[in-house]
Amino acid sequence: MAGAVAVKFYGLLRRSAGTAALEIEGDGLTVMALLRRAEEKTGKGFLEELLDRKQGLLTGTIILLNGENIRSRQGLETLIKTGDHVDLFSPAGGG
Amino acid sequence: MNGWMGKIVEIDLESGARKTIAVDDAMRRRYLGGRGLGVRLYCDVNSVPIDPLSGENVLIFMTGPLTGTMMTSGRYQIVSRSPLTGTICDSSSGGTFGAALKGAGFDGLVIKGRAAKPVYLAVHDGEVEVRDASAFWGFDTQQTQKAIQGEVGGKASVACIGPAGESQVFFAAVMNDKDRAAGRGGMGAVMGSKNLKAVAAAGGSPVNIADPAGYKDLASRIDRAVDKNPVTGKSLQVLGTSVLVNIINAHGMFPTENFRRGVFNDAEGTSGEKIAEALLLRQSACYKCPIGCGRTTRTKDRSGEGPEYETVWAFGANLGISDLTAIAEANYACNELGLDTITMGGTLGCAMELAQTGAWQAGPRWGDAGKLREWVTETAYRRGMGEELALGSKRLAAKYGRPDLAMQVKGMEIPAYDPRGAQGMALSYATSNRGGCHMRAYMIAPEILGHPVFLDRFSSAGKAELVALFQDVSAVVDSAVLCRFLQFALGISTFTEMLRVVTGLDFSDEELMTIGRRIYTLERQYNNRAGFGRADDTLPPRFFNEEFQTGSSRHRRVELDGMLDAYYAIRGWDADGRPLAKTLAELGL
Repeated sequence: MAGAVAVKFYGLLRRSAGTAALEIEGDGLTVMALLRRAEEKTGKGFLEELLDRKQGLLTGTIILLNGENIRSRQGLETLIKTGDHVDLFSPAGGG
Repeated sequence: MNGWMGKIVEIDLESGARKTIAVDDAMRRRYLGGRGLGVRLYCDVNSVPIDPLSGENVLIFMTGPLTGTMMTSGRYQIVSRSPLTGTICDSSSGGTFGAALKGAGFDGLVIKGRAAKPVYLAVHDGEVEVRDASAFWGFDTQQTQKAIQGEVGGKASVACIGPAGESQVFFAAVMNDKDRAAGRGGMGAVMGSKNLKAVAAAGGSPVNIADPAGYKDLASRIDRAVDKNPVTGKSLQVLGTSVLVNIINAHGMFPTENFRRGVFNDAEGTSGEKIAEALLLRQSACYKCPIGCGRTTRTKDRSGEGPEYETVWAFGANLGISDLTAIAEANYACNELGLDTITMGGTLGCAMELAQTGAWQAGPRWGDAGKLREWVTETAYRRGMGEELALGSKRLAAKYGRPDLAMQVKGMEIPAYDPRGAQGMALSYATSNRGGCHMRAYMIAPEILGHPVFLDRFSSAGKAELVALFQDVSAVVDSAVLCRFLQFALGISTFTEMLRVVTGLDFSDEELMTIGRRIYTLERQYNNRAGFGRADDTLPPRFFNEEFQTGSSRHRRVELDGMLDAYYAIRGWDADGRPLAKTLAELGL
C-alpha cells in the first residue's frame, strides 16, 4: 500500500482494537493523528487505554516508532513517514 | 503487641532443643520483619560465613508486621546463605503460608542443625512439633503437601521441598500452597541438607491492629487505587506477567539463545496474549489479593501453574524453543520437583551454548523441546545429564573451560531482561546482594514500562541514585511483607501508612528509607565477609564486549564502571564496595 505505516496492537489493546495489526496511510501524520486514524479504521474506541483525559500519554503507555519510544522523541507530536512501524502497548507490568 | 506476634522460636533439629529468640521493640522497628529481620537474625547466628549445606547453617522462615493483614499479605521470606551463590539470600513466596504462620502464633522460625532422619515441622497454637517425615521422603511437592495436610488437617498451609531439595540441587525451591515458589537461591537445598521435608502451619490467632478505624479506611483506599491502576487492576489480571514477552522483545532485549540475540522471532507464540488463548484455565490469586496474576493452565495431558514471564522466557526464547506446551510442562515439572525455573532455564541455555561451541559435546541442543521435561527431571534427581545441570551455570561453564558462557552474577542466573537494553538494570544486576536477580531494583519499571516516570534506557545518568533508592524500597516491602506488584499502584507513603495503622508506631517515609538502606548495607557487610567485593559486582563479559546486530537495542554495550563508582559513593561504600565506618555508624550497624 502506498504510504503505508504498519501498526501493531499488543496486550489488552489487541482485544479492544479487535485486531493485532493494521496498515494505515500515515505519511506525514503525527503519532496522535495516526492513532485517531487507526481508531476510525477499527471502529473501536481504544484510545482511552493509551491516553489520559487531557489527551496526553497515560503513565505506562508505550508507543514504539521503529522500536524507539516516542517519549524519547516528540511524544504524540512525533512525525511518521511511509515504511515506519508503530507498536502500541497499553500500560502493563510484570516481573 | 500490634502487627507482630512477638514470638520467634529457634529449633535445633539435631538436639530437639527449642529456645525463644529475644527480639526487642527497637530491633523490630529497625528491621521490621521478613527479609530485614531475617537477615539480622541470620547474621547474629552465622556472622562468619559457613558451608550453606552444613548443619551449622541456619534457615529462617520469617513474616512481617503486615503479614496476615491487608491485601497480598500472605507472603513470607526464607533467609539463609545460598548454596548457589555463597551470598546472603532471601527468597520470597506468595500464597497463604505467611498468614498461616502468624495464625499459628509466630513471626518466624529459626531452624538449625540436621535431623537424624526426615522430619517436618507442624506449627500451630504457639507450638512447634517435630514430626517424622520418613514416609514422605521422595514425594514430589504436590504429594507432600497433600500427605501432610492429611496428618495435620486440610486447612494447614505447607511449605515443602520435592526431590530436588532432597538431592540438594543448588537451585532447589521451596514450594507452598500448591505451586507458589520461594524459587531463587536454593533454599530448598538448605532444607534438604537438614532432612527437613516441610513446615506446615495453621491457626487462627489474630494479628492485632493498632488503629482499626484507620486500617479500614486505608484498606478501602488501597483497594480503589489497586483497582483503578491499569497494571494491577487490569493487565496483570487478564494477561498475567507474560504480557511482558512482546514488550521486552519489541525493545530488542528479550534474551534469546543464552543472551546471544535480543529478538526472538517466535515471541508472539509464547506471549501472555497467546497463553491466555491457548492454555489458560483461570487466574489464581494469593491471600487477599485482588490482582490474581497467577495462571492456572492446562495442556492436552497435564495441568498446573504457569508459565509466568520469567519461566516462559527461561524455557522458551532462552533455549530457542517456541513450543508452548513443552514450556508449560517443564514449568509444571519444576513446580512438582521443586526447582527454580529461572536458574534451570539459565543453566540449560549455558549448556546449549557449551554444546554448540564444542566445549561440551554431549550437551543439550538448541530448540530441543522434546527433551525439556526429561532434563528437568534428571536435574532434580541428579542423574544422567542432570548431574551436570544441577551444578548451575557458573560451575558448569567453569567445568568445561568457558566461564564466560554462564549468564550469571555472583553465581545466580540473570533473568529475562538483557542489560544492554537498560543501563540501570545492568547496575541493578551487578549490585544485587543475592546475585543476578531482577527483584532488588526493578529498573525495567522506569526504563521500559514508564513507571513511575519514563527514563532513557540507554543513558547511565542518574541511574545509580535510582538503583540504590529502588533497592531500599524493595528491602522495606520485602520486610513488611507485601507483594512487590503493589508498587505499580502504591508509593512509599502508602507503605508507611500501612505500617502506622497496623503497628501503631509513628513511622515516616524517611525512617522507612533508612530501614531499607540499613537492610541493604547489612546484607552487603555479610557478603563482604564472604569474600565478595567490587570484582564481583560485574556482569558476564558478553555484555561489555558483544553487540546485537538487529533489534532496537543493537550496537549497545553495558557501561558499568562509571555507574558503579557513583553507586558506591551514594551508598557510602569505599572503592571496593565496602561500607565505610561512617556509613555503618549512621545506620547503627
